[in-house]
Amino acid sequence: MQGSNFKAEFISGMRAGIPVVLGFVPIGIAFAIMARQAGFTVAQTCGFSIFVFAGASQMMAVGMYEQGASIIAIILTTFILNFRHLIMSTCVFERIKQSTLKQKLLASFGVTDESFALFTTEKEERCTIAYLMGMNLALYTAWNAGTFIGAIASDFLPVIITASLGVALYALFIGLLVPNITKNFRLGLLVVLTAICNTVLSQFMPASWALIVSTLVCAFIGIFTVDLEGNKEECADE
Amino acid sequence: MNSFEYALLILGMALVTYIPRMLPSIIIDKMRFGAKTEKFLRLIPYTAISALVFPGVFFVDGANPYIGIAGAITAGALAWLRLPVIACVLAAVAVNFLQYTFL
Repeated sequence: MQGSNFKAEFISGMRAGIPVVLGFVPIGIAFAIMARQAGFTVAQTCGFSIFVFAGASQMMAVGMYEQGASIIAIILTTFILNFRHLIMSTCVFERIKQSTLKQKLLASFGVTDESFALFTTEKEERCTIAYLMGMNLALYTAWNAGTFIGAIASDFLPVIITASLGVALYALFIGLLVPNITKNFRLGLLVVLTAICNTVLSQFMPASWALIVSTLVCAFIGIFTVDLEGNKEECADE
Repeated sequence: MNSFEYALLILGMALVTYIPRMLPSIIIDKMRFGAKTEKFLRLIPYTAISALVFPGVFFVDGANPYIGIAGAITAGALAWLRLPVIACVLAAVAVNFLQYTFL
């Protein structure tokens, strides 16, 4: 692999990660405030984000700890919550044609809901390991910066700003999804079906399981009902 | 929480988070997928992203579902018009900011 190519792809990956920063920094701050209030030190709070890098699980861990849960229970819940990444990582790495083992071991650490969504809706030819690593670095930096800010400064953002930023990651997902479904009616129907399916299932089971079940079942239904030809190059715009 | 307990917690959480992320990356090269499986894998991003948005977006503000709904419609409309993702994000945040300020 050529060095200059790698660098250019890495940088465009970082750029692609920018929309996520807006969502990650305030959530990182919120997590850190929760952790500090639960009694974790500044260093311990940052340690979560440095070594685990999973927003929902970190929040859940701190909440469970505050309620007196055992370490084993917290770890088990983290596992259940993050099991979806097994599926997401499969889709991410299925798109990468060329990479070394070391690169994979490093890049897979950064597979999150957001990097998965960004990467798998990107044009196929841009999906290189360098692009993924650049994206990961942007997201990891934002998450850890948010955590650090929240750990030392706590609540300095006005409530109205924090509240308004709460929608950022949902807007990101919608922004990635919509361009892909506007030209494929049946795919659009499948997306709507998934939304309904997940909304209903969430009433009966934990949200993390509902997400896995509705994702897999609806994708399976799509095999027989959706035509993906033509969607190949029709991916999210810049 | 003392340092030992904390180290155990972080080690455990880091492992159970990293392993599901890492495993597919090292075994996927050794696997051959049929056309159906490949299609299945290509459909997952659409269904997964949909499930990440719904129903969560209705609860962005637990007290007011219209915050999430207005943000979602804004982002969806701009994405429909093929505006870049960052514009969708900024506009959704701006609309919610206006809602909090004036409503």
